[in-house]
Amino acid sequence: MMTYIVFILSVIFVVSFVGFSSKPSPIYGGLVLIVSGGVGCGIIMNFGGSFLGLMVFLIYLGGMLVVFGYTTAMATEQYPEVWVSNTTVMGVFLLGLLMEVMLVLYVLKSEEVGVVFKFSGVGDWAIYDTGDSGVFSEGIMGVAALYSYGAWVVIVTGWSLFVGVLVILEVTRGD
Amino acid sequence: MNPLIFTTILMTVLLGTMIVMMSSHWLMIWIGFEMNLLAIIPILMKKYNPRTMEASTKYFLTQATASMLLMMAIIINLMHSGQWTITKVFNPTASIIMTSALAMKLGLTPFHFWVPEVTQGISLTSGLILLTWQKLAPMSILYQISPSINLNILLTMAVLSILVGGWGGLNQTQLRKIMAYSSIAHMGWMTAVLVYNPTLTMLNMLIYIMMTLTMFMLFIHSSSTTMLSLSHTWNKTPLTTTLILITLLSMGGLPPLSGFMPKWMIIQELTKNSSIILPTLMAIMALLNLYFYMRLTYSTSLTMFPSTNNMKMKWQFETKRITLLPPLIVMSSLLLPLTPMLSILD
Repeated sequence: MMTYIVFILSVIFVVSFVGFSSKPSPIYGGLVLIVSGGVGCGIIMNFGGSFLGLMVFLIYLGGMLVVFGYTTAMATEQYPEVWVSNTTVMGVFLLGLLMEVMLVLYVLKSEEVGVVFKFSGVGDWAIYDTGDSGVFSEGIMGVAALYSYGAWVVIVTGWSLFVGVLVILEVTRGD
Repeated sequence: MNPLIFTTILMTVLLGTMIVMMSSHWLMIWIGFEMNLLAIIPILMKKYNPRTMEASTKYFLTQATASMLLMMAIIINLMHSGQWTITKVFNPTASIIMTSALAMKLGLTPFHFWVPEVTQGISLTSGLILLTWQKLAPMSILYQISPSINLNILLTMAVLSILVGGWGGLNQTQLRKIMAYSSIAHMGWMTAVLVYNPTLTMLNMLIYIMMTLTMFMLFIHSSSTTMLSLSHTWNKTPLTTTLILITLLSMGGLPPLSGFMPKWMIIQELTKNSSIILPTLMAIMALLNLYFYMRLTYSTSLTMFPSTNNMKMKWQFETKRITLLPPLIVMSSLLLPLTPMLSILD
């Protein structure tokens, strides 16, 4: 099973995406987002990106999703919609699940799947080691490069986030 | 809005477009588009009423979808070419997805539905920024990937845009919707010649921006957003009726005025590449555009409809200061003899 762990994790990833795309109430969307964040972290860590997985848990789940949960809890209604409460939501969820199951069966049965890129067999996504990583992990080296060669990226993204806050305050301020 | 915040946000819109036009890394281009989109939302919502909020929401949804499609095309390109630099897009799937994403950003058919509704819901100045500045960034990316664009898809979208831009504007009396449909048609002309000679696309963009700027500034000067209101400008400033006449005829592409220059060059370039039916169709469909410009000039400059005396007066607002209006008017009508100079655009 460990050879196919990435495939299993990516199937759970897609299923949880279907779970929140079928639009239950935001609180339940956030719940499924936690699952998908954790599973996504597992996928990245299997490719050796331990630093990036930690970033997902700390910043994405532990920072952004927590704030999202607080704001949703303030704006929630008395009986929020679950997947089984509304026929439409349940229908979309089941349709998404059905399409994912058919895709998984197609991948498992056929030799090669060539939709946009060639994917030949589940072993294609097994973990393998490419080249010399050296003593340091690639994630940390990436952060070091971001602050040295990629200074312009830091400036641009920092400015975008700052202007994002300004824009949100302007839009919600009203008259 | 607080003037400092307004200046910051306006500068961020400029910065976003500059980043798109000057980056060599696909990710930075995507970041530039997102910065542009995020910062223009409060500018679209300058007046705080439900109509502007609805227009801003529609704009945000369509442009965000286009950015997502662009990101997908970038990732497919990365997967097949292994690098992030801006060159032509080698993989056909990525090229088609990217062309569709940029067409959504520009407002080409079949993604044109947001343009009239968003332009109608916002103020005249915001509409001006939307229809001129926001077209620069996607057009610069189309220019850079032009060697690899699928000709069939682009030409289909261009011809349908000219048709929809002309046909859709026929029944309109609201000036902002008329300008929106005119923008759709002009985008169609620009993208039709993109694969054959991208310099002419840039020429058309330049002249289109000058003419649209002039039209919007004349509308702002006479504070009119409907055809009815525009038909009363003879009472307020009679000179602007003549200027509206000249600029509208220039937008329709009539010969001694500068609006003829891009159409002439584009038809010549297309016929040099042995396509005869296509430029004929495009020229015929541009007549639809000319029809509703003519109707505007008819009601504004050429006739005074019979009405009671108190209906003739227009409410005299404080005169707005319009930057650079005289040079713009001159440039949007008299540039035709300078056609040989378009070799500097290369």
